[in-house]
Amino acid sequence: MKSLPANFTIGAVLVALVLGAAALSLVWTPHDPTALNIRGKFAAPSAAHWLGTDQLGRDIVSQLMAAARNSMTVAIVAVFLGGSIGVALGLLASAIGGWVEDGVMRLADLGFAFPALLFAIMLAAVFGPSLTNAVLAIAFINIPIFARVARASANQVWTREYVLAARAAGMNKLAITRDHILPNIAAAVIVQATIEFAVAILAEAALSYLGLGAQPPASSWGRMLSEAQTLIYLAPELAIYPGLCIVTAVLGFGLLGDGLRDVTDPRLARAR
Amino acid sequence: MFELQNMTVRFSFGEALREASLRINPGDRIGIVGESGSGKSMLAACLMGMVPDAAELTGTLGVDGIDMTHASEAHWQTIRARRVAMIFQEPMSALNPLRRVGETVAEPMRVHLGLGKAQARARVSALFKEVGIPDPDSRLRMFPHELSGGQRQRVLIALALACDPELLIADEPTTALDANVALKITDLLVDLSRTRNMALVFISHDLAAVARATTDIAVMYGGDIVERGRTAEVLANPVHPYTQGLLAARPDPRAVPRDANGRRRRLPTIPGTVPPLYKLPQGCRFSGRCAVERSACAYVKPAPVGPRHATCHAITQDTL
Repeated sequence: MKSLPANFTIGAVLVALVLGAAALSLVWTPHDPTALNIRGKFAAPSAAHWLGTDQLGRDIVSQLMAAARNSMTVAIVAVFLGGSIGVALGLLASAIGGWVEDGVMRLADLGFAFPALLFAIMLAAVFGPSLTNAVLAIAFINIPIFARVARASANQVWTREYVLAARAAGMNKLAITRDHILPNIAAAVIVQATIEFAVAILAEAALSYLGLGAQPPASSWGRMLSEAQTLIYLAPELAIYPGLCIVTAVLGFGLLGDGLRDVTDPRLARAR
Repeated sequence: MFELQNMTVRFSFGEALREASLRINPGDRIGIVGESGSGKSMLAACLMGMVPDAAELTGTLGVDGIDMTHASEAHWQTIRARRVAMIFQEPMSALNPLRRVGETVAEPMRVHLGLGKAQARARVSALFKEVGIPDPDSRLRMFPHELSGGQRQRVLIALALACDPELLIADEPTTALDANVALKITDLLVDLSRTRNMALVFISHDLAAVARATTDIAVMYGGDIVERGRTAEVLANPVHPYTQGLLAARPDPRAVPRDANGRRRRLPTIPGTVPPLYKLPQGCRFSGRCAVERSACAYVKPAPVGPRHATCHAITQDTL
């Protein structure tokens, strides 16, 4: 067994931490994250409230855990949705080629040219701010990214001799895409998905910070940040805790993605 | 059967194949020899309907009298595997590393012959046995990396035979294998061709393998078939200057390594290299490298002469 790269290990630990907290919040939080307790507001860390309470007396640890769950859900759904559509488009472009490929890729360029936050603001303006719209916006910005990755990797696989052999055996393009192309680009897509996870978490936090994502009483790191903003001199820890959570999650998925790429890329493995 | 008539494959930058004609009858074993870039693989691609889209085809490719020159991809998918199949040069890369070899071989059976999972599996097992893979039932569950080069080439032969094709094209099937394994694979192909009455097009630059495997031969240079005939006759008595050069360049293990003056004997070579497609001479493709070249050779395309269809201005009925 070769030793795994450090970024992979560190990333995996951080991701496990965040995912663990999110999973745990499904069944248990120290307190109800939405329970108000005006008398106990701004409580200092104690055995009952490990990180204290906020300006409305809500338990911070419970809120952070519930927020982790929301962030993970948004990131998973958005990346999966955008990734599936993007990969499908990329595979289609690669399989058909010609003007279809050009068309899909120019559309992807168009998607890249469109600022994600602007798109989310537009969605919020038209349909009202909600977590669903935040998911759709983040999914949308993922489509062109995955379309490009899938098409570039697929174009490489199409030139492999085993694809030629499959064509010589009379397979059609759909069967070749399913049996040969998709399994062989999976590594690249998974690496990209892990990295896009980090981006999605950041985007969700940004949207919620702007009030375009999670709506009260749902918890979100971004919303906690924005609520803490006015109290930054009075209780800076209220902004620091969700900030640290965002850093942990984004750094974790970023490092894990980089590590996965190092592990799956044989050229880098040689250099290690 | 399969018949190419005056097939020309033209790209924007040159002709990869020029007026090639080749008739393949059931059970024929035809060798195609020539240097890299001589059009051997393009000839195979024509027979498979796998010429790149950028190419312009003229001439005809008949499959049982039906002209397939401009047939659709969907039409070709019904021809490939069932009528004509191909094995490739590089057994290491011609198998999907992520699929069990049994699945790879079973797939065309399931698609083209409509076999169920169990039927296909039994057929794969029987095929593996036929191509000389020991313990086929456990081998078909293996991944390509678990097999040796020779075994992988046998798996690829089984893949090509999956739907009992009438014509098997072997594009340099032994180039990537060591000499001993190459010999066995060559003999296997000959046996399969005999027992199945299957035509074999054996593309190689290994003249010894071609001599062993084939009854007929076509020599290619620069997209032209320059000479053809019975393999034994052509190799024993080549008439085209290119064929003569090719045969002279074979190392002879019995030759004395030093000449009378004690100097190291050098292997004869054909001077120069194959020019790139866009620089090929308009007339005889071999002009510029030919020992018997005349002034007109570079500009006038030589017509096929004699029973060998040799395309050379220096050859007339009298000199044959």
